[in-house]
Amino acid sequence: MTDNSQSLRAAEALASGHGSEDPFAAAIRADRMATIITDATQADHPIVFANDAFLRLTGYGRDEVIGRNCRFLQGVDTDPLERARLRAAISAGQDITCELLNYRKDGSTFWNALYLSPVHDSHGAITHFIGSQLDISDKKRLELQWNERQNSLEQLVADRTRDLTQALEQKTALLHEVDHRVKNNLQLISSLLLLQNRRVSDPAVKDALRGMLERVNAIATVHRRLFQSEDVERFDVSAFVRDLVSDMMGSSARTDILFRLDLERVDVAASKAAPLALIVNELLSNALRHGFPHGQPGQIFVGIGRINGDFRIEIADDGVGMPNAAKSSGFGLTIIQLLCQQLKARCETSDAQPGTRVVIHLPINDAHP
Amino acid sequence: MNEQPLGVLIVEDEALLAAELGFLLEEAGCRPLGHAMRSDEAVAMAHKLSPDLALVDVHLGDGPTGVDVARRIHDDCGVVALFMTANVKRLPDDFAGACGVIGKPYSGHGVKMALAYLEVCMREGVAPGPAPVGMTLSPAYARLWGLSDQPRAV
Repeated sequence: MTDNSQSLRAAEALASGHGSEDPFAAAIRADRMATIITDATQADHPIVFANDAFLRLTGYGRDEVIGRNCRFLQGVDTDPLERARLRAAISAGQDITCELLNYRKDGSTFWNALYLSPVHDSHGAITHFIGSQLDISDKKRLELQWNERQNSLEQLVADRTRDLTQALEQKTALLHEVDHRVKNNLQLISSLLLLQNRRVSDPAVKDALRGMLERVNAIATVHRRLFQSEDVERFDVSAFVRDLVSDMMGSSARTDILFRLDLERVDVAASKAAPLALIVNELLSNALRHGFPHGQPGQIFVGIGRINGDFRIEIADDGVGMPNAAKSSGFGLTIIQLLCQQLKARCETSDAQPGTRVVIHLPINDAHP
Repeated sequence: MNEQPLGVLIVEDEALLAAELGFLLEEAGCRPLGHAMRSDEAVAMAHKLSPDLALVDVHLGDGPTGVDVARRIHDDCGVVALFMTANVKRLPDDFAGACGVIGKPYSGHGVKMALAYLEVCMREGVAPGPAPVGMTLSPAYARLWGLSDQPRAV
């Protein structure tokens, strides 16, 4: 520590040059803002002036501060980075604003918004620093509270997000499990029908079992399609028809019947997928089984598109036509009627000359009468 | 056909499915060699019977061990495995060495098409075209049989 007497002399010199008649000095002495002046010409920049506001803020007496570097205000919890910034500004001769946790004489702390700026002589050399201190403890406390609230809110959001993610994962796992079971059960049902079909010899029973197998297969195809797509809510009717036709064509072993497809992509709600699939299955099955008896060759057309705000599904064959066709299963027709009712769809059958044309009009939304 | 029919091992824990699959195999001109319901049975039968092809369900009597079965019989015995599962999306990206997958629920026709297709692939070493509806080839086998990587079934 340098000799305190040098600082006292400097303090006197400063005071004598700026007596009570100096309005600038009077302003600083009486200011409510705590202010100090340090001597930059001495080593370690001792304080050579402190106003009453500074003494009130810090709790020290004037004789306890004159001659000391103002770092005595700092303590264990003062941010070292902010202190380093302050030191750097002083040695560079620049002004600086910083926020420091400072300690009063009684050990209590306050947040100090320090503004420090150099004072130059007529040659441009730095003679003093003037520092003003503002107690910003209240602002800091609010800041701290705000940060804490912010952090706890963020924590809350993070917790909630984690919970929701977990719940979603569980739901997804459950959905996969249910989907898996549904598929396996459909497989089991179709295996049962196939196995029984191998056992029976009565053609009528065989035919009934084959019909049921086709229906189960149609539902199975729906289910495979539904879960393959990204959107489990929507069902691509054309993709389904392509699968179904390929399967029916193959299992019918009727290479003499040609399929012609004109399929526009049409999506329906997943809830309508199974009934619609069953209708298409019955119509295709009818055309295939009854339109071309005794090895008569021919063609079956399937068209899907939109018309007047409806989905239009057409299934036409150039076979023997309705009056000549062997009586199609009454049960199949019942299925078509019931499901059209359910879907609020309209089913029109006409003579295709030759053959039969069936057109299903399915309203896109349920508002359709 | 002059060639020996494909010898096929069924690895499936549902007895009814396995029984029906056995009939299907015969209809498709294959030779069903046996039916395993658990992973240890499957591996032992693969060693003993040296099948050309194994139809492997993912969920077996001892848990979801089908993937492991496919990898072991492929690595140990060089058996071509074909998964038959409702959990197509849960298969590892490399298909555990299996040649592909048929998604459940499959149709009898779909299985026959797949078998006929695989028979050509295995005999000729080249695929006659893209895999039939309902079947997806693994990337490794698609390359092996001269197809560029297929996107998984859409």
